[in-house]
Amino acid sequence: MDFNKFFLVFKREYFSRLKSKTFILTTLLAPVGFLLIFLIPIAISSLSSERERVVYVVDETGTIDHRLVQANPGLYRIPDTTNMDVLRGEVMSRKVDAYIYITESVITNTGSPELVYGGAGGLMFIQGIRSDIQSAVRTELLDRSDVNPEVREIFNKRVSLQTSKLTETGEEETDTTALFIVGLVFGIVIYAAMFIYGAIIMRSVIEEKSSRIIEVITSAVKPLELLLGKVIGVGALGMTQFLIWIIAISGIGAVAGMFMLGTTPDAATGEALEQAAASGVSFSIPDIGIELWIGLLVFFLLGYLIYSALFAAVGSAVESETDSQQLTLPISIPIIIAMLLINHVASDPDSTLSVVSSMFPLFTPMLMPVRMAVLDVPLWQVLGSIVLMALTFIVLMWLSARIYRVGMLMYGKKAGFRELARWIRYSE
Amino acid sequence: MQAISIESVSKVFGAFKAVDNVSFDVRPGCIYGVLGPNGAGKTTTIRMINYITIPDQGVITINGVKAGRQTQEIIGYLPEERGLYKKMKVGEQLIYLARLKGMKLNDARASLKFWLERFDAYGWIDKEVSELSKGMQQKIQFIATIAHDPQICIFDEPFSGLDPINSELLKEVILELKAKGKTILFATHRMEQVEQMCDDICLFNRGKVILEGNLSQIKRSFGRNTVNLEFEGDGSFLNDLEGVRINNKSVNFAEIRLLNGIDEQEILKAALRHVRVMKYEFVQPSLNEIFISSVGTDNVPKAEPLS
Repeated sequence: MDFNKFFLVFKREYFSRLKSKTFILTTLLAPVGFLLIFLIPIAISSLSSERERVVYVVDETGTIDHRLVQANPGLYRIPDTTNMDVLRGEVMSRKVDAYIYITESVITNTGSPELVYGGAGGLMFIQGIRSDIQSAVRTELLDRSDVNPEVREIFNKRVSLQTSKLTETGEEETDTTALFIVGLVFGIVIYAAMFIYGAIIMRSVIEEKSSRIIEVITSAVKPLELLLGKVIGVGALGMTQFLIWIIAISGIGAVAGMFMLGTTPDAATGEALEQAAASGVSFSIPDIGIELWIGLLVFFLLGYLIYSALFAAVGSAVESETDSQQLTLPISIPIIIAMLLINHVASDPDSTLSVVSSMFPLFTPMLMPVRMAVLDVPLWQVLGSIVLMALTFIVLMWLSARIYRVGMLMYGKKAGFRELARWIRYSE
Repeated sequence: MQAISIESVSKVFGAFKAVDNVSFDVRPGCIYGVLGPNGAGKTTTIRMINYITIPDQGVITINGVKAGRQTQEIIGYLPEERGLYKKMKVGEQLIYLARLKGMKLNDARASLKFWLERFDAYGWIDKEVSELSKGMQQKIQFIATIAHDPQICIFDEPFSGLDPINSELLKEVILELKAKGKTILFATHRMEQVEQMCDDICLFNRGKVILEGNLSQIKRSFGRNTVNLEFEGDGSFLNDLEGVRINNKSVNFAEIRLLNGIDEQEILKAALRHVRVMKYEFVQPSLNEIFISSVGTDNVPKAEPLS
C-alpha cells in the first residue's frame, strides 16, 4: 500500500467530482427537496388542525349530554332538534362530524350508545368519544346510586389513576413511534446515501474499464490503492455535500427565523427551526444525547465504507452499468431486511434477535443507532460491532481488489456469482 | 545486465495456457519486436512485464530487479486497449498519470510541456479529452506513456488505429527514444512494420516462443529463397506452380517462397509465358514467410490470418 498513490487517486476522485456540473447541480437542488419534505408535513398538520370537530349529542335520558358538553364544550353540542333525519342530513352535508344517540339502556348497561359519523376523524376521534361517554355514564351511575362521598372519592381516585396510566402508555407509544421514525429516517438516509454514493464509485470503476484507461492505471497503481482512493474520495465528497447542506439549511433557517420572529439572526439560528419543528410536527424529537450523535456518525461512516466496498466489487466485476443490475440487487437486500427489523428492534431492543441483528455488520448502521436511542447498549456490543464492521470493510475491500484484478482484463465477459467466486479463489 | 529478462515464464487461465515456458532477453538500448498472431500470448507476456498480472511460473526481471512495484515506475506502457479520462483536461490528466508513475509535480510539468510541444499539441493543454479528435487523443495517449521519462518503453500494437501521418510521427519518436538510449519493446501482429525498426525479435505462436534472436541474423539463416514478382496480366498461373508457397498475393504482386530446391529461373520462365513481368527480385524471406516456415502452415491459427 503506497500512501502517495492512494492520495493521488483520492485527490483526483475528490476534486474532479467537486468541480463537475452534476455535483454543483445536486448540491443546489437537494436542499429544495429537503425543504419540501420539511414543509409539507407542517403544511398538512396546520391545515388539518384548522377545523374543529363537532359532535351532536342526542340524549333521551337528559343526564349524559350536559356532562359531555361540560367535559369538552368545543366538541360536544346539544342539537336543537332530535329528528334523526335532520341529524343524518347534517352529518351527510358535513355540517357536523357525528351524532351520538344515547338511551336509558346505555346507562343501565344493557345497550350501547350509537355513534353515526361521516367517516372523518379516524380511530383516535372515536376512541376519544368512547372514553368520554364511559366516564360520563360512570359518573351518572355513581350519582344515581347515591354513593356516599367517601366512596365516590375513592372511585374518582381510581378513575383518575386509570386515566393517568392511560396517558402514560400513550406517551410511551409516542416515544417509540418517534424513535421508530428517527430510525426509519436514518435507515432511509443511509439507504439513499449508500445507493447514491455507492453508485458513483461503481460508475467510476466501470468508467475506467469502458474508457480503457484501466491498463494504464493498473500499470502504476495497485487495485487496493485505486479502490480505496475512490471510496475515500467519494466519501469525502459526500461529507462535503452534507456540510454544505447543513450550513445552507441553518442559514436559511436563520433568515426564515428573522422574518418569522422579527428577531436578530443569531438568536433565531437553530432555535427557530426547532420551534417550527416542535409546533408543526405531531411528535417531539426525542432527546438525542451526544453519545448517540457520535454513534450515528461512526456507524454511518462505517456503513458507507462497507456498502461502497460492495459497490466497488460490483463495478470491478462488470463491464457496463446495465450489466451491474443483477449484482446491485443483492446489495439492497440487507438494507431492506434491516429496515424491516427496525420496528422490532425499537420496541424490543434487548431480545436476542435485536442484539444479534444489530451486531451483524451489514445491519449495524441501521439497527445499532436505534437500539442506542432506546436503551443503554452495553459497551462491548457497541465496540464489538464497530470492530466487526471495520473487519468486514477490510475483507470486502480485499475481495473487491481481487475481483478487480481479474475482472479488469476480462473484456466482454459477463460475470455471474459463480464466476465471481472463481475470480476470488483464482490465484494470481 | 539485460533490460528485460524473461526466464521460463508460464501463465495459465483456467485450462488455457496463454504463455507456455517462454524465455527471452531484451538488451538495453535496442528495439525489440514481439511478434505473432493475435492470441499468441504477446499481450499476456507484456502485462506480466508490467506487473499487471503475475506469472504462474518463471521469473521476470527488469534491469536485474524482479518485476514488481518499483519496476513499474521505470516502464512506460502503451496498452493495446487505449483510453484516457474523457472528462479530464489534457494537462491535468498527463500530470496525474506521470505522478502515478512516481514523478515529482515539477518534473511532470516540465516533461509534459516538452512532449506536448514535440507533438505540436501544446494548445490542447486545457481541453477536455472528449473535445479532441481521435488522432489527437492518440498523441496524448502516447505522451502519457512516455511523459515520466521511462528507461523502458513497451508499446502493444502501437500503430493500430493511427493514420499514416501519425504513424510516421510515432516511428520518428520511437527512433528518437532509441537514440536517447531507451530500451523499446513492442508487440505487433503486423510483421512488415517491425522489419524496418527492430534490432531483435521473438516470434510467438500459441503461447510459445518459436524463434528468437537478432533480426538480420535470423533472416540470413533462412537464406535467399524468396522471389518477389511484380507483373501485369492474369496471375492465375501462380496457382499451378509446384514446389513453391505463395504469400502476399495481390492482383499484380506475389511473394513466392521456393521449396525443395526449385530453381528460381523456372519461376521466371513460367511468369514470362503468362504475364508481363514488371519486376523480378530474388531476396531474403519476409518475416511473414519466416513465421510461416517456422510454425508450419498447419500450425497457423486459421481464424486470425496474418496481415
